[in-house]
Amino acid sequence: MMNSDFITAIIFDCFFAAVASIGFAVISNPPRKAILVSAFLAAVGHGFRYFLLKGTSLDISSASFIAAFIIGMLSILFAKKIHCPAEVFSFPSLLPMIPGMYAYKTVLASVKFIQCEDYPSSINIIVDIFRNGTTTVFVLFALVVGVSVPMFIFHNQTFSVTRILKFVNKDRRILDKPRVEIEQIDER
Amino acid sequence: MDIHSELKELSKFLSDYSTCLMAVGTHTSRVVRNTSRIAQSFGFFADMTIFQKTIIMTLRDKDNSHSYSTVNKIKPMALNFEINSRLSSLSWEAYDEHLSLEQLRSQYNEIVSKPRINKWIVLLLVACANASFCRLFSGDWQAMCTVFVATLVGFFIRQKMMEKHINHLFVFIASSFFASMIASLATIYHFGNTPQIALGTSVLFLIPGVPLINGVLDIIEGHALAGVSRLINAALLIICLAIGLSLTLLLIGVNAL
Repeated sequence: MMNSDFITAIIFDCFFAAVASIGFAVISNPPRKAILVSAFLAAVGHGFRYFLLKGTSLDISSASFIAAFIIGMLSILFAKKIHCPAEVFSFPSLLPMIPGMYAYKTVLASVKFIQCEDYPSSINIIVDIFRNGTTTVFVLFALVVGVSVPMFIFHNQTFSVTRILKFVNKDRRILDKPRVEIEQIDER
Repeated sequence: MDIHSELKELSKFLSDYSTCLMAVGTHTSRVVRNTSRIAQSFGFFADMTIFQKTIIMTLRDKDNSHSYSTVNKIKPMALNFEINSRLSSLSWEAYDEHLSLEQLRSQYNEIVSKPRINKWIVLLLVACANASFCRLFSGDWQAMCTVFVATLVGFFIRQKMMEKHINHLFVFIASSFFASMIASLATIYHFGNTPQIALGTSVLFLIPGVPLINGVLDIIEGHALAGVSRLINAALLIICLAIGLSLTLLLIGVNAL
């Protein structure tokens, strides 16, 4: 199974996923340092999904779920390193996994269905619409839920990654008092 | 300064801050947390109701004896993760270092007025991205070239029409129609072995991925109303994309595919 052809295929897959992720990331104007991270995450996620699809017997929705979960975990790790919200690079790195061909086939089959006047063959088209449509929806949900599960596991870290502590103020009770008083305390 | 004018000035700032965050595509619970964090650093509490187009917010002091309410429209803005990230940092900075309102204002204005990435670079990168997307669906190099050109044209049309503030739903129909029309030339002239994949991928740069993910996140975190309205907006965009693609399919004839 792990011959050199398979490994080359995975590496190519990673490379193109990274390029795709950079392109889709710049639409939403991310911070410059986040672009490379999202490319890396997309390469890891998509390459891993490719491995799961070709190397194991998993179907596309479960494979997408696992890949998205890994992206979510890694994104929280990187978020702590470079002080950016995790979604800034986890969202663009999911985009290469969006089930575009299934969505296209759903639209194509729907247009065929409108134009089809023959009753028996339209039943086949309905099966096409349903099969491709449900795959699209399931993969989309697997991606979103997979990436957000780590965000809930590490809920507090998710919201405090952008914090850059310059000094540690242990007496948090100060914050409950109005501003004027805070300044007086600081002067003392 | 008496407490009422202090509340008033801070509410004005916070309503600008929260609507800006909401407009650039931050998920709702982060908006709520960031805003109340800044309010807390001044010793106040902020409670807010968030809809798709407006934010209603009440700022009050600790014993509820003074309060100030604002309603502010969420202006339509393009997605911008840099503003999202830097405004989140700003809220922590306010919390940890007790920045004054003037400092907050000036930093906020500086962050918001930062220019976006050059649009020609974006155009080129999006075209490359969609071409490699086509490769991920196992298209050959001819299909990749077709998708590259189709995306260049489609995204350029989208940028131009967005600058002229044409209705965004119509923009989506038009750019998906033109992009898929160019990609369909590969089908008509039998360019390469996988022209179908080129046709299918050519419109995918329009998929509103961020609103989709944000919508589901919002629903899971309990902001069901905001989440559903985000999902409805994303669904509308996807329907428009499908309309543009179907027009092409009807024109070139589906039975050939």
